[in-house]
Amino acid sequence: MNGSSKAVIQTVGLTREYVMGDFVLRALRGVDLAVRAGEFVALMGASGSGKSTLLSLIGLLDRPTAGGYWLEDTEVSSLSRDELATIRGRRIGFIFQNFNLLPRFSAWENVALPLAYRKGEYGGGEQYKKAMDVLTRVGLDRRADHQPMELSGGERQRVAIARALVTQPAVILADEPTGNLDSATGKEIMSLLTELHKEGKTIIMVTHDMNIARHASRICTMRDGILMEAESVHVRG
Amino acid sequence: MSVADLIRTSLRGVSANKLRAALTMLGIIIGVASVIAMLALGNGARAAVDARFRFLGANQVQISAMMAIDDEQLVSAGKNLTYEDGLLMPDQVELVSKVDMAVNAGVKARYGRATLDLTILGVTANAMDGIVSAGEVQPVNRQDGETLTMQDYLARGRFFTPVEVLEHGPVCVLGSQTATDLFGGDDPLGQTIWVNRDRCEVIGVMAELENVDESQRYKSNPNLNLFMPISTVIQAFYEDEPSISITAFVKDESRMDEAKAQIKDYLRKRHEVEPDANGEYQDDFNLTTRKDILGAQQEAANTFSLLLAAMAIVSLIVGGIGIMNVMLVSVTERTREIGVRMAVGAHSKDIILQFLLEAILISVGGGVLGVVFGILSIPIAASLNKGMALLQPSSIPLALFVSILVGVLFGIYPALRAARLDPIEALRYE
Repeated sequence: MNGSSKAVIQTVGLTREYVMGDFVLRALRGVDLAVRAGEFVALMGASGSGKSTLLSLIGLLDRPTAGGYWLEDTEVSSLSRDELATIRGRRIGFIFQNFNLLPRFSAWENVALPLAYRKGEYGGGEQYKKAMDVLTRVGLDRRADHQPMELSGGERQRVAIARALVTQPAVILADEPTGNLDSATGKEIMSLLTELHKEGKTIIMVTHDMNIARHASRICTMRDGILMEAESVHVRG
Repeated sequence: MSVADLIRTSLRGVSANKLRAALTMLGIIIGVASVIAMLALGNGARAAVDARFRFLGANQVQISAMMAIDDEQLVSAGKNLTYEDGLLMPDQVELVSKVDMAVNAGVKARYGRATLDLTILGVTANAMDGIVSAGEVQPVNRQDGETLTMQDYLARGRFFTPVEVLEHGPVCVLGSQTATDLFGGDDPLGQTIWVNRDRCEVIGVMAELENVDESQRYKSNPNLNLFMPISTVIQAFYEDEPSISITAFVKDESRMDEAKAQIKDYLRKRHEVEPDANGEYQDDFNLTTRKDILGAQQEAANTFSLLLAAMAIVSLIVGGIGIMNVMLVSVTERTREIGVRMAVGAHSKDIILQFLLEAILISVGGGVLGVVFGILSIPIAASLNKGMALLQPSSIPLALFVSILVGVLFGIYPALRAARLDPIEALRYE
């Protein structure tokens, strides 16, 4: 562990409960997690263990019932809806299992989407240039004008990764990024994520597949809403 | 999002379901077209009233016999309105300064080898006054509002004198078209023509005339006329005393109602109309002023406008509800898209604007088409309303404003629903 790099993400006692009638589902029961810059963390666990809930909270798509969450030293668990949206758009990149690209929008338009929501910061030409830069990085610059329907699964996920990269976020959150891909394509995507990690990107990835998790620098396991510190291991330096 | 990005996004949303958008527009199209047609009717009626009052000596009372249908024939309901009724009126009715009288007869006119079937008009020496002051026709190529005299209406010669009318003078005045048809290029003045079996000297030719109200122009040709003294027409072409129509000229325009009452008294006396058991008179004649005619026309236009207004409101509401429905479906269908947009940084405002703009695009699209159909429908509306419909230019921006308003009113709820979605739920939506 590199002690000099500071924590990008720090949660203390993070708790998320869902009230369902008389019944309270405790999805997260006090999770303490610190992720340093440049780390590639794999979150493992059975379905229902709370790993996706934790990722949603880290991604500011959801708010904790209790506990604190510092993203780059800012306490974010009490911010307003729109403040959260602003931080999501600037500091967090999402990669989803089902890609979640907008149909009828070309690859580059999908990639540029986060830039479009930054009021007045990027003109149309700049958006295109930035989108093309990251599409080149993921090897898809030639497919920039194609719509998602015209791309293969692996290509779609590359477009999604480019969209996550385009804002140069503090952290990239990947939810089962290879879950909808065949194993060969899955390997390509994982080697791309590994490269990005080597370039210094901070990545948190949810997976239930040990073969996928192996690419991470650190593996955490969730069980019944609790992060099992004991099973956090370092696979690579 | 920038305005350009926003419009691009919303356009893409609408164009994804073109047929659905087009069908949704239908209500707005009908509503807006109704607004355009409604305002055109109101405007047309107003323009017609303005135009006529500008030219009109509003001092005329039109008197005709009450007609009834007997054995499928139109006959006088009571006594005929006679030449004598008219002749004595200026003496007997205080407020009437003079009268013109008119009666028609279908005849064959002949000069040399040229013959012409036409309807001649038996009138008095005052007919020209009536024509000039009514202002329904005027010599061609004149400006609206130009002051015209009797001489402007005559191309050649003169009109009848009162003496010629009293003495059944065998004289006539030709319309410009009639003169050309009978005489070709020859000078008709002083020539004698045959009208049925009577000779008749041409003493004047009218100038070429046109209807002032453009919408009336197709109806009748004001130049295919042959005027003769009414007494001559009655004597030569009628076996029995015909029912005529009388135009009374009232001395004081501000006392039209009083004059009408006096004329009624006079005619009731002459026609021996007695009050019935309820003290009401069953008159055998009609009195009409221009004001009565225009009032009735305007009332018809108003009724029609009201009907269109109701139709417009109903279709705009139905159209608006259609838009709301389609937008709610669209929001549900695109829940995942909304989730993605929220995940990459869209604020509530961005989502609201996107869907609101889509609703507005549909309603304004309908509005634009509605304006087009509305303008195209004006001739139809005019034909249903005596030619009185005229596009009101301000109705176009109004219609577009109304369609934007409908888009906003009915698009805001679906847009708010979209913006209130929970991002995590939206992303997981299948």
